[in-house]
Amino acid sequence: MLQAVGQTSAKGRGIRRAGKLMLALALLSAAGAPSIAAERLQIVSVGGSITEIIYALGAQERIVAVDTTSLYPPEALRTKPNVGYLRALSAEGVLSQNPTLMIAAEGAGPADTLGLLKSAGLRVVLLDEQPSTKSVIDKIDEIGRLLDLKEPAQALSTKVRKEFEDLDARRKTIAKPLRVMVILGFQSGRAMAAGRKTAADAMIALAGGINAAGAMDNYKQLSDEAVIDAAPDALVMAQRGDDDVLPANIFDHGAFKATPAAATHTLIQMNANYLLGFGPRTAQAAHELMSRLYPTTAAAKP
Amino acid sequence: MSAEAATAAQVRSFVAGRKRRTHLGFLILALVVILSVVVALTSGPIAIPPQRLWALARSTFDGQSSGQSSPGLARDALVLFNIRLPRIVLALLLGAALGVSGALMQGLFRNPLADPGIAGISSGAALAAALMIVLGHHITGVDAALMQTVVMPLAAFLGGLIATMFLYGIATREGQTSVATMLLAGIALAALAMACIGLLIFISDDRQLRDITFWTLGSLGGANWQKVSVVAPMVTLLLGAMPFLARGMNALSMGGAAAFHLGVPVQIIKTVCIVLVALAVGVSVAAAGTIGFVGIVVPHLLRLAIGADYRALLPMSAMAGAALLVIADAIARTIVAPADLPIGILTALIGGPFFLWLLLRRNRNIDL
Amino acid sequence: MTALVSARSLSYAIGGKTLVDDVSLDLEAGLLTAILGPNGAGKTTLLRMLTGELKPTIGSVRMGDETLHTIPAWRLATRRAVMTQATSVTFPFTCYEVVRIAMQSPRRKAASASAMDDTVVEAMAVADVLHLADRFYHTLSGGEQQRVQFARAVCQLKSSAQFGMPQVLYLDEPTSNLDLRHQLMLIAAARTLATAGLAVCAILHDVNLACSHVDRIVMMKSGRAVASGRPAAIVDRSTVRNVFDVDILVCEPPPAGTPYVLPFTQRPG
Repeated sequence: MLQAVGQTSAKGRGIRRAGKLMLALALLSAAGAPSIAAERLQIVSVGGSITEIIYALGAQERIVAVDTTSLYPPEALRTKPNVGYLRALSAEGVLSQNPTLMIAAEGAGPADTLGLLKSAGLRVVLLDEQPSTKSVIDKIDEIGRLLDLKEPAQALSTKVRKEFEDLDARRKTIAKPLRVMVILGFQSGRAMAAGRKTAADAMIALAGGINAAGAMDNYKQLSDEAVIDAAPDALVMAQRGDDDVLPANIFDHGAFKATPAAATHTLIQMNANYLLGFGPRTAQAAHELMSRLYPTTAAAKP
Repeated sequence: MSAEAATAAQVRSFVAGRKRRTHLGFLILALVVILSVVVALTSGPIAIPPQRLWALARSTFDGQSSGQSSPGLARDALVLFNIRLPRIVLALLLGAALGVSGALMQGLFRNPLADPGIAGISSGAALAAALMIVLGHHITGVDAALMQTVVMPLAAFLGGLIATMFLYGIATREGQTSVATMLLAGIALAALAMACIGLLIFISDDRQLRDITFWTLGSLGGANWQKVSVVAPMVTLLLGAMPFLARGMNALSMGGAAAFHLGVPVQIIKTVCIVLVALAVGVSVAAAGTIGFVGIVVPHLLRLAIGADYRALLPMSAMAGAALLVIADAIARTIVAPADLPIGILTALIGGPFFLWLLLRRNRNIDL
Repeated sequence: MTALVSARSLSYAIGGKTLVDDVSLDLEAGLLTAILGPNGAGKTTLLRMLTGELKPTIGSVRMGDETLHTIPAWRLATRRAVMTQATSVTFPFTCYEVVRIAMQSPRRKAASASAMDDTVVEAMAVADVLHLADRFYHTLSGGEQQRVQFARAVCQLKSSAQFGMPQVLYLDEPTSNLDLRHQLMLIAAARTLATAGLAVCAILHDVNLACSHVDRIVMMKSGRAVASGRPAAIVDRSTVRNVFDVDILVCEPPPAGTPYVLPFTQRPG
């Protein structure tokens, strides 16, 4: 980047010295220069699953910056500049990374910033972020197309599609679906559970369960009575980090003691990003969740 | 009698000293504003050294569209004129508006704790913004981009204005506005708005919750010339009314009755003050969310430095507020570059300790 | 002498309670008028109607040949100044600034800055507060604040003297916090202003001070003016007993023949 600045400022001085004639020449030479698109892509990747897919395609060296939701693989945020939260991007910050393309999850913004970026000539592509298998596969294909990596993308999407198909097959063997509750954390001892219209809800469905908290929308804190009423057969703890602390012996006290899950001591802990990210690893995550929910089905296939 | 003459001479020299101090204050502040703008122009995640500014300005004015001169120059020109400059101008306008509004509201409510949003603007705007973030799509049916660029700012502006008009209506009886009633009603309204926002937070999803949080912390990230062109007239109105309002504010510091005795059209001053502040702060909040602390700290800081006379305090509040916000924003976009830090965090981080330091070292006999 | 301010049948009622009941009053140029009466007699309410701050429920106040309420605030301010009981100032203004505020009302014809400074110094000298000029107003004692406010009121009138209109100065208990020397000084200053052609109207508590310095006294009780006239004519044992509920002895000391009173016991039952 420093190099680029040095180069352009040298050009700036040249223009100032030589005046309009030189400017005209510069215009000509600019017209003759190779188009930006043909140069190597420099991507700002905004959205966890998008970054994950680019890494999975082995194109990580084309990423010049990521956003704070790009949690996987961990080296993304460790090694790449961070342009901030996907809803609060900085126009100049993004441009400072000299990108030629920004791939962002739908909902990235603010809209004014996106407008500025587009007016600065940056190509901005927004990708659908629905928590669905179709969306995952579409995202892989689209990113492959954008990066001109059709073959690796094809391979990845075929693999993922196959995994999803296997998942469908396995799901059909489930005799009695379990009521599953995905918990994102505890606040003063009360569980924050995932209702409908969440990635967790979609994941439960993929893994062949029924969302025990399906009576509500979004993520909400559940009262003790609501927990008992939801009657989950299994609890899934979505862990934000490795050091997430569970209330000691969750089944020994409170409302969870009275749930069917307590009887079988079914508590599944999985990484939140892995579980809810809806990226290339989602099929695996769903397989894993299914295997842990239905140990007998697990024998069928990984 | 000669003793009195001697005292009179002392008083004159004291007054002359104060005047010199005020003039010096204006000079220093003007320099600070200019310096902060230059620093802000040349700092950001994209390195544009000061000596390059001139070349960029030349290229923009020479060639009709700078986009063709050279890619690097074109990009830098675009960053400078379409991203950084509108941001700086917006920061200047908002800082000035918040500084002046804070000083005016403190004077109007005769309360040193008053902030620019005290007359309901903040509560109303925050509630409207939260409403749009959480339920805007259901209510208006517009897409996300239109929501963020037009509908939400408009809603925040109207929300602030409606809240202010409501409070003003409650506090005004027979053509007389009771600032005490307005203050109390404002507290009740703020509590009510907070409760409604709490309700909205309860039904919001993760992303909406984060949007509300970011909005509350304020940001100049989305600044563009369009926003500047909307904000500028409102702020100009407020700044233009300063000389008129300053005299009234000085008299009002002795109370409404005393101000009336002095010939101040108290009700007109109150109304003009509330309307102009509501417009300027409302449009500011709509453009950049709530930016705290500038409006409360800047006037007090200046009172400690140059005294309470509003004729100097108001323009200086405008200048100091503008400089503070420009500097805070320059830091906001460089400190965690290429990300942006919400500016509200920085105004409090810069203003808070400085204010505390001033309070600690000040002369004991100055009481706010 | 024609009345500069003439109030006719003023009544003021709020919340079903009549605070001032049918009071008529004339203030004449060159005269010092005192309003006397116990707490709650309606003195301040009467004054607030005279200054234009309150609109009488019944009756009207005329100033010159105009009705008080038709005169806009800025013009009124060139013709009358008011010193209220205790005035707090919100922010750290210096005394000099407080006095100077008297000349800042909008629409006031701009005098040169140095001329304005002269007027401030003059007014502060009258109130003996020049030495307080650089002090912060809110750090002063109550008495000092009162004197600064007196200076402010004087400054307001002095700076409007150019308009040549007859002026009125209203003082609401101007001496309540003052030491003896400054009480006398303030009354003397008020007298000087009256002599110069102003009408001065002051609410006083000290009957002796009133008797020895003012030209007219209006005695109020329960919202009504029970007596008015020259001190010697109306301050007698029965009036004071009636108004203040105290027993007094009215004595006539040798100088000047003005009466002075000496309260010694509350009137029984």
